[in-house]
Amino acid sequence: MGLSAEVVAELRRIVGVDGLVLTAEGRMVYECDMHTFYKGAPDAVVLPVRTDQVQGIVRACRAARVPIVPRGSGTGLIGGAMAPQGGVMVSMNRMNAILEIDPPNRCAIVQPGLINLWLSNAVRERGWFFAPDPSSQMVSSIGGNVSTNAGGPHCLKYGITTNHVLGLEMVTGNGEVVQLGGKTADRPGYDLTGVAVGSEGTFGLVTAVTVRLTHLPEAVKTVLAAFRSVVEASETVSAIIASGMIPAALEMLDEAIISAINAGTGAGYPEGAGAVLLIELDGPRAEVETQGERAAALCRAHGALSVSVARTEAERALLWKGRKEAAGAVGRLTSAYLLQDAVVPRSKLPQIMREMVAIGERYRLRIANVFHAGDGNLHPMICYDDRRPDELERAKEANEELLRACIALGGSVTGEHGNGLDKGKNLPLQYAEADLNFMYRLRRVFDPDHLMNPGKLLPTHPACGEGFRPQRPVLPAGTWV
Amino acid sequence: MSVTTRALGGALAAIVGADGVAEPATAVDGRPARWLVRPRTLDEAAGIVALAHDEALAVVPRGAGTAQALGSPPERVDVVLDLGGLDAILEHNPEDMTATVQAGVTAGALAARLAAHRQTLPLDPPGWASRTVGGIAATAASGPLRVRYGTMRDLLLGVRFIQADGVVTWGGAKVVKSVSGYDIPKLLVGSLGTLAVLGELTLRLHPLPEVEATSFVPLASVETALDLAASIVDSTLQPSRLELLDAAALAATRLPAATAGLVVSFGSVEPAVRAQQAVIAVAAGRRSARVETMGPGFWTIYDRMLARTGVTALRVSTAAARLTATLGQVRAALGGVRDVVVTACVPLGLLRVAVGAAEPAVVAGVVERLREVVAAEDGSVVIERGPAELRTRVDPWGPVPPPALTLMRGLKQEFDPQRTLNPGRFVGGI
Repeated sequence: MGLSAEVVAELRRIVGVDGLVLTAEGRMVYECDMHTFYKGAPDAVVLPVRTDQVQGIVRACRAARVPIVPRGSGTGLIGGAMAPQGGVMVSMNRMNAILEIDPPNRCAIVQPGLINLWLSNAVRERGWFFAPDPSSQMVSSIGGNVSTNAGGPHCLKYGITTNHVLGLEMVTGNGEVVQLGGKTADRPGYDLTGVAVGSEGTFGLVTAVTVRLTHLPEAVKTVLAAFRSVVEASETVSAIIASGMIPAALEMLDEAIISAINAGTGAGYPEGAGAVLLIELDGPRAEVETQGERAAALCRAHGALSVSVARTEAERALLWKGRKEAAGAVGRLTSAYLLQDAVVPRSKLPQIMREMVAIGERYRLRIANVFHAGDGNLHPMICYDDRRPDELERAKEANEELLRACIALGGSVTGEHGNGLDKGKNLPLQYAEADLNFMYRLRRVFDPDHLMNPGKLLPTHPACGEGFRPQRPVLPAGTWV
Repeated sequence: MSVTTRALGGALAAIVGADGVAEPATAVDGRPARWLVRPRTLDEAAGIVALAHDEALAVVPRGAGTAQALGSPPERVDVVLDLGGLDAILEHNPEDMTATVQAGVTAGALAARLAAHRQTLPLDPPGWASRTVGGIAATAASGPLRVRYGTMRDLLLGVRFIQADGVVTWGGAKVVKSVSGYDIPKLLVGSLGTLAVLGELTLRLHPLPEVEATSFVPLASVETALDLAASIVDSTLQPSRLELLDAAALAATRLPAATAGLVVSFGSVEPAVRAQQAVIAVAAGRRSARVETMGPGFWTIYDRMLARTGVTALRVSTAAARLTATLGQVRAALGGVRDVVVTACVPLGLLRVAVGAAEPAVVAGVVERLREVVAAEDGSVVIERGPAELRTRVDPWGPVPPPALTLMRGLKQEFDPQRTLNPGRFVGGI
């Protein structure tokens, strides 16, 4: 137990006995997020219900130099909401109210613990929804979405979380409550809201979020096409984008996933299909009708084995069923897998898919793919047998090689899951020392004592430490000095 | 360090060549400038910033110079860093719908290049064609298209920038989706060159709509116009621009006279454009108004009007649902000031108030009264352009709440402790 009696007493005073978890069994629940590799239980878990309590917690921890780790629903995939250095975990589950719904100003104010889908459910009857739709939206919290800058299938058209956050209330690492942004547009000053979204709790604890609401579209059209190969399907993706439409979603499943899904829920994807492309268009009815026909025609022109168009909401749900259950279906393929979130430029999809096959063969591992093809965001699942340690090692190496391949093609190490403990170490693949150092200094402005979610997002690297000096331009020598 | 001005001029020339340095430079907002330096490459620009940093010179970066009247007059100016020479389009990947450009590329030049692929960077701040992409990013300037496409904040994927000590740094990614590290592009959009000098920008592009059509609806009152606009916002229509024009703005854009007008555009496939226009016609009819379809040149006329009208241009931000009340309050605050043109980007609650020749003291009074009015809505009033005397008399940005301002000052202190970059021009004296 790493906390002093004084700190525990202060926490108890702030949140009460009901809001404090100290037992080993109680704390174990919080030792990891959905990336279960990384385990680290906090010394205490607090469950505040108000902003002033959150501020009190931060101040108490800061005075005692105790690390603070925020947690929403714990559905993250990056080892973000766990406590590698112990300390106090602040669970936002009880701060889950909708504070205000304001359709005339197209926004709502919510507490961070609110479940993503609950907001859309609350405003749907009035014609609105909250656009970010991570696959976890039935359980993940909006605070967690803000923290990781979460994406989702429909962010191809609508953008990721940051595009829908207008303002934040946050308790910074300094222990101050700050209002960043808000309902009105174009506030003078730096875009602190924009910088804080995706900061994974390293700047502070978000205690309220002002979000943009989006009007429900007039019509939705969903097209599902099966192809012989991922390469053919990828070429179709390029053709669809080149034709000047931006579908709401453009998702792809590969052969391994298709067979796993067919074996389970019976989504009824064609046997022998090497890839399934799910295309969803939404917007004005005349637009989706025209574009839906064009998308279907492009699929046929690119050799689709079959093309189906949903005519009813039930049919649409059926087409999505397999995609939504993909992650679960992998359980039929393997006992364990490493999930990747890398991105390549969309035009490089055929190339990276070929490389992925080669990597899988080289490491003798099956790699299943279900991903956001429209924006080049891959989610390869590298399958391994967790009873065989050597397979895990091979899986890790394959994973690393795959990341390098994506970066070599001009991509990114994470498209929507975030950095956390898992991806921070990969940032040097993508960023030079000066870039990492800039990020480190940015963090320091919000959290000078480095107590907010320490060990996350940035790597352990000399550039992310005090005293590092990036290389400056060499000035011409001359008589002028 | 005791280095003579003459020797420093030589040092600048050693970096960019003798042709790249002009001395003295034109004053910036009445502050005399010593050198106008025009680098040809990003490395040269970084060298200039590094030298300025070491010699405690103040650097004022500029693109096309369109927005030099935004913000407070600088505390000091030694080097005006003209980025117009960094005008290369480095990459355009039509299949990925991304482009990487140097900061000095004009939006017009980029548009011409992208149009060949039926793509666009959908940003249209007033006078956009001659403004540089770097300048649009540094000022977070926006125009009517933001209703559909957002602003530079939503379109800047990655950025290569020069820190205050000359270190060239990259933030963001070259792909359309990335959350690796912190979102540095967001930090720099709208930072007015006070944290770093923007060098290269990687941008998300959009397809040009197959058809764009524009409807004009003249209305008997501002209230009716805003009511119609609100009904469009709360509907499944997807306007790409939705602007409110007052009577003076209608006259300035050569539209038929009315108390107020709404101009709304739809961009999509032809049947969808026609269907949405038909909905507008019905909605207008219910308000006893008739719709007129405008030619494709309308937005060019409108753009020119926004860019050129008024000695002073104010941007008033309020809650969108409060626009009717705010417009009335704007009229009241203007009092007897004449020669005023008001337009609004309705869905965002943004008003543009252009004021003709008037005493700076009078306009300053208007700004202060307006700030009181919008404070209740958590709104703001920014002087986007106006005489230096006005911007000396009244803070062109207005107040920023202290806890947020403390963080902003902390950022400046961290990234530009010597105040090399654009000192004194930004909020709170940053």
